[in-house]
Amino acid sequence: MRSVFRYRELIRNLVLKDLKLKYRDSTFGFLWSLANPILVISVYSFVFGHLIRVSVERFPYFLMIGILAWNFFAQSLMMSTGSVLDNGNLIRKVAVPMEVFPVATVLFNLAQYLLALIVLFPLAFIFFGVLPSWSWLAFFPILALHVLFTLGACFVVATATVFYRDVRHFTEILLMLLFWLTPIIYDIRSITPALQSVIYLNPISFFTLGYQNALYYNAFPSFQEGAVLTILAVLMIVMGYLPFVRLKTRFAEEV
Amino acid sequence: MSTAIEVIDVSKAFTIRHNRNNSLKSQVIGIFHKRFREERETLWALREVTFDIRPGEALGLIGRNGSGKSTLLKIIAGIYPPTSGEVRLSNPRVGTMIELGVGFHPELTGEENIYLGASIYGLNRKEIDKIYSEVVAFSELDNFMDMSVKNYSSGMQARLGFALAVNLDPDILLVDEVLAVGDESFQRKCMARMEQFRSAGKTIVFVSHSPDDVRRICDRACVLDFGSAVFLGKTDEAIDRYHALLLGNHS
Repeated sequence: MRSVFRYRELIRNLVLKDLKLKYRDSTFGFLWSLANPILVISVYSFVFGHLIRVSVERFPYFLMIGILAWNFFAQSLMMSTGSVLDNGNLIRKVAVPMEVFPVATVLFNLAQYLLALIVLFPLAFIFFGVLPSWSWLAFFPILALHVLFTLGACFVVATATVFYRDVRHFTEILLMLLFWLTPIIYDIRSITPALQSVIYLNPISFFTLGYQNALYYNAFPSFQEGAVLTILAVLMIVMGYLPFVRLKTRFAEEV
Repeated sequence: MSTAIEVIDVSKAFTIRHNRNNSLKSQVIGIFHKRFREERETLWALREVTFDIRPGEALGLIGRNGSGKSTLLKIIAGIYPPTSGEVRLSNPRVGTMIELGVGFHPELTGEENIYLGASIYGLNRKEIDKIYSEVVAFSELDNFMDMSVKNYSSGMQARLGFALAVNLDPDILLVDEVLAVGDESFQRKCMARMEQFRSAGKTIVFVSHSPDDVRRICDRACVLDFGSAVFLGKTDEAIDRYHALLLGNHS
């Protein structure tokens, strides 16, 4: 992992490469990255706020918190299915610490996540009168743990895809399932205890709830909540990184 | 006596997969149907290769296609792990020129690729800023730096790659069959640069099919055949041995 720091310039360049390639030659550039969450939030607000009538106040703001966090996780994971494979032309020619690729993928998506937040929070203020509170400070430790958790999951996916190309499709389906098992478009308090326990089986739910508590309910996380997030993040990073380290020497031959 | 590169008993096995199963489905089917089962065959690309290279020495690797030259170079570069044996390098600063480009990204411009390429070797921004103009000057591609590399000719890519590799100022330079694509004047420039490199006490491992190039650069050469080092010694003798192998193949 120390090599990650030594190669920070490479990581920076890989992130910049992805950003440049994504927006090169497009007129609206970064605005496209906002179009997706804004459209999703608008559609869900309409469908679940007006047609199905989910009774959550300032529902679009509630959705925004969950969806942006989800997009960060889901897009990191989808992208990391290719983070080692797509850099095959590099890996086959230069000895390079493989860690940099998933790390760059997560940082790229983190940049997108933060940019979207920076743009959408003022909108939430304008349209829903959302004002900051001290509890918002809890966002930063939650985000840090969420990033670690996501990185761990990306190590798993990046490693597995090198050996089984199916992982890409499997991840896509799994994410779709997990999206509905995460309290993003509904409030966990509004569902039955039996359903709640199902939702709690999904580790991603805890991060979503953490964000919602801090940013929506303006409550600081309790010690238990913080402990759960820490344990999840550490477990995921260990579960992801250990197999990655064991198998990374074979990547150059397999990609 | 100090050594720059020690190759000790290095063997490398590749698993050749006939009707390769990279998907779970085909692996599961393979359990039940023999016909779909992946057949694995082990190919020994290198067999117990051992040699030392001293600092300031240039070693040529010659051999027929598929004799293991590139595999050996990649193991020295640390890209592949050896199946058994080990490679010891006195200095970790290795510049590689393996195939075309250093791993250029086709959509990025020449300039962006220099920055990305150099950072792959662990250079930071300041260090890259310092060598940037030299790389551009050596490659003679000043007018193409803002063009996507996908629009470069193969010769231009090779020039940029070589320019970058030599300007990284590595202590060990691994060069694999890259001069074939450049035009004559660029080839001469590269040869001159490699000679300069060697006289500066740096180490070169050079893979080529051109006996003239090998003769010019290398003090010693190693002939590989079917993954074994069948000869190691003076370049002229190595080339004779290589020619004998080629003739033997025809008769």
